[in-house]
Amino acid sequence: MTTALHIDDVHKWFGSHHVLDGFSLRVEQGEVVGLLGPNGCGKSTVLKIVCKLLSLDAGEVRLMGQPLSELSYRARGLVGLCTQHCALYPDLLPAENLHFFARLYGLTEKDRQQRVAELMESFELENFANTRVGQLSGGWQQRLHLAVSLIHRPKLLVLDEPTAAVDLEARMDLWRLIEGLRDSGTTILLTSHHLAEAQRLCSRVALMRSGKVLAQGSIPELLDRIPGKAVAKVQSENNKAVIQKALDLGWPVRQHADQIRLLLPCALSLREIVDALDGTQVSAVSVHPVTLEDAYLELVGGSP
Amino acid sequence: MQSSHLFLLQTRAVAQRLLLEQWRQKRGLIFWAVFPSTMMLLFGLVYAHNASMRAGLDAAAAGILVGAALFFSCLGGTVAVIAAERERGTLPRLLTTPLHPAAYFLGVVIAQLLLALMQVVMLYSIALLIGAKYQGSIFLGGLILLLSVFSYVGMGFFLGARFARRSEEVVVALSAIGVPLLVLGGTFFPLEIMPQGMQNLAQINPMLHMNQAFKGVAAYGMGLHELRFELAFLVVFCGLSLALGVQSYRHLLGGNKSQ
Repeated sequence: MTTALHIDDVHKWFGSHHVLDGFSLRVEQGEVVGLLGPNGCGKSTVLKIVCKLLSLDAGEVRLMGQPLSELSYRARGLVGLCTQHCALYPDLLPAENLHFFARLYGLTEKDRQQRVAELMESFELENFANTRVGQLSGGWQQRLHLAVSLIHRPKLLVLDEPTAAVDLEARMDLWRLIEGLRDSGTTILLTSHHLAEAQRLCSRVALMRSGKVLAQGSIPELLDRIPGKAVAKVQSENNKAVIQKALDLGWPVRQHADQIRLLLPCALSLREIVDALDGTQVSAVSVHPVTLEDAYLELVGGSP
Repeated sequence: MQSSHLFLLQTRAVAQRLLLEQWRQKRGLIFWAVFPSTMMLLFGLVYAHNASMRAGLDAAAAGILVGAALFFSCLGGTVAVIAAERERGTLPRLLTTPLHPAAYFLGVVIAQLLLALMQVVMLYSIALLIGAKYQGSIFLGGLILLLSVFSYVGMGFFLGARFARRSEEVVVALSAIGVPLLVLGGTFFPLEIMPQGMQNLAQINPMLHMNQAFKGVAAYGMGLHELRFELAFLVVFCGLSLALGVQSYRHLLGGNKSQ
């Protein structure tokens, strides 16, 4: 099977700022790959290059096996883009927006009618068929935005922080829709600040910092790279004592700002942890299984 | 799908969308209709009231159509379209589609042509009621208006792409660049009363040739032969406008690419 997207050693400068510094990534067909990293690490730049909205300075990008630089403007139909800001026409109805973009992609009349009806139904937009897009709530606008990016059945769907600008309820709805797309075999490249979003939706994750990928793999693979099975977050009057005690117990210790995180070799109860740290003036402890956030902190450092 | 078929489909989609948006923006539509109608009514009544000026009524109707109505509708409208695409964030989305730059340009031209046609009907209905006459060939007048709309849209693309990043800047860009062109185009004063330097400068202003050509046909019944110089200028300028419009669309793409 052809690799959907192959980004190889890409460099991009904005003036003297080296935004992408040898960025490489592969996305196989049917995969959902998440690109995670702090603001300004180059995530959106990668997506813009893939969508041909930005040119690259060095390196190569292949889309469905073909170099991006050799693809004509008609090949733009290979990719569908959905950003966090709803880029639609507010005075048009939802179906009118879908029809407009379907025509730009050259869908035939019959296919267009069928595809618009299909998306209106699967994205549950029928109840708002007579409402102008500008009058829809942010969540419904974003839902339509996602539908528009799928109108031409792209080989690769690019989602740039698709749930960043919507409320919690709308976010859950969008997650359910994206899960549906994933389960139907849509290839997706997604950026996000929400680690829970990436953990829920992505089959593979690439962790970025300063324009390059520092670690990548499936979620279980990344979790396996943490030297622990569970994490205890500890607050204490005497951090030094806690750290010393944990090291004596053979538990790796991580300190981020004022928070001490102990990587536990197995899932221990709160009582067992408190007993083990006896005499270290612990004021609060919480424990949870390792998550993508822990993997991020371990492999990249800082917050995404 | 064949490239030519896709091109036509895209052109139609852009034109249809713009007209639908215009139709839905009721307030804008009212102002769009009120402005040239009021101008025609005011100028028309002044000309009709003074017997010595009555002969100028036919020329005034032509001048208001080309110099005021189409200027604000086609040029201003195009600048506003580009600024709105930028502001709403639809521009990057369009740039991710296979939309051909020339199809986008042509779509805008067609939408503006249909709007221009409505303005012609509206404005000339008022003008004829007041007593103005259309003297020449309707076909030739139509050709001049077609060339004028093309030129205005091309200039609109240029101004929109280079100078109007937000809706608020549309009026500023129109005032700063468009209005001097209107003055030099003989819309407000006859060319003859201008200093020689201004007259020379006006010769390269497309609005002067639009005004002179349309006034020539509509007010003085001139034919193809008498207007050959103005028509040749407008045809060349139309070609330049198309190139400028497509290049400006690419500039928008380039602007995006270097962000």
